[in-house]
Amino acid sequence: MSVKYGIMTLLYDKKCHGYELKIELDQLLGNKGKVNPGQIYTTLDRLIRDELVIPLNIDEQERKLFTLDASGKTELEKWLLEAVPYHSTKEDFFFKWICARKIDYANESQMLEQQKAMVLKEVMDLTKLKTDLLIKGDENNYLLISGRLLHLEADLNWISQVENRQTKP
Amino acid sequence: MIKVSGLVKSFTQGKNITEVLKDVDLKIEEGEFVAIMGPSGSGKSTLLQLLGGLDSPTNGKIEIDGKAISEMSENQRTIFRRKNIGIIFQNYQLLNNLTVEENIAFPLYADGTLDKEKMKEVKELIQAVGLNELNKKQANLLSGGQQQRVAIARSLVNHPGVLLADEPTGNLDRSKAEEILLLLTQFHKKNNQTIVMVTHDIFAAGFADKIILFKDGTIEQIISREEENYAQYLANFMA
Repeated sequence: MSVKYGIMTLLYDKKCHGYELKIELDQLLGNKGKVNPGQIYTTLDRLIRDELVIPLNIDEQERKLFTLDASGKTELEKWLLEAVPYHSTKEDFFFKWICARKIDYANESQMLEQQKAMVLKEVMDLTKLKTDLLIKGDENNYLLISGRLLHLEADLNWISQVENRQTKP
Repeated sequence: MIKVSGLVKSFTQGKNITEVLKDVDLKIEEGEFVAIMGPSGSGKSTLLQLLGGLDSPTNGKIEIDGKAISEMSENQRTIFRRKNIGIIFQNYQLLNNLTVEENIAFPLYADGTLDKEKMKEVKELIQAVGLNELNKKQANLLSGGQQQRVAIARSLVNHPGVLLADEPTGNLDRSKAEEILLLLTQFHKKNNQTIVMVTHDIFAAGFADKIILFKDGTIEQIISREEENYAQYLANFMA
């Protein structure tokens, strides 16, 4: 999970102050734990330094507001369209997808299809590897790969479920 | 090698003519394991039936190992099939009142070639598919996975150069399907048989060297693992 892209998602179409970002980021993460406020401010500093986020004026309660720069929007959209390799954990894709939903991202279908292609490539590669392992008599690695394939099957089913629900009126 | 050119198959019902296969060209090299995928009604099972000589095409030519089966009479096709092609069906198609051993030996019995030596081979096949302890059991008393093992052994009893499988794992759960696919792969690697398998399941297709994507009676794409963007083609096709 990336605090950087979570913040950019929340700033995509509105201005927020630091505390708001903390509350909303916790919601975005669901039950995956809470973000340390210090982490939010250091990440914001880096985003400002990289010219992805713009610090604005102080609001009536003397809280500093932030917004996403055009280059920040481009950077976020680029990240959304990068498929997540399976070994870097599928949770990363789920987080990316929830960020896309949060901003009503127009290219969600493309995101899902790219992720599906990534999973399918893994399925094809691992099926071949698994068969070779079994023929060589490497039972343990065969079983480990079989386990990974079952997880990939669940991921593919999940992507299909999202796609099916998208097409419903 | 399997060579198909200009293959057309249409069915007539009353005044309606439905073209299920539309001018299909295809070449499958000897020893290749090919999966055919596509939506229901796309013509993939019809293609398999024509390759197996179970039906004749409306137009076009099918050659298997240089023999034009599309030009043979029904009887000639049956004889050719018994000697050269093994077929595995989704619903096993075993003779329910016969035992495991009798089902596997049945093609030899029908050909009148069943002798002591061949019976020894039948027993070896029973062992290879892991049904040694069930060889005297009646087919309809076996589980789905066990019945498909019998069907695989039966399809191999004549040492066919070509094995056709129509949704061989369609009725099985994931772990039983896995056993069947591994069995097929092991035989394929050992005997260098050409396998053509129709499936809707990408996890089954993953066992093949090549995947033929079928749509509306034509080949949409043939993809192999060596192609850089093959996973993207698959994802588009499955969308």
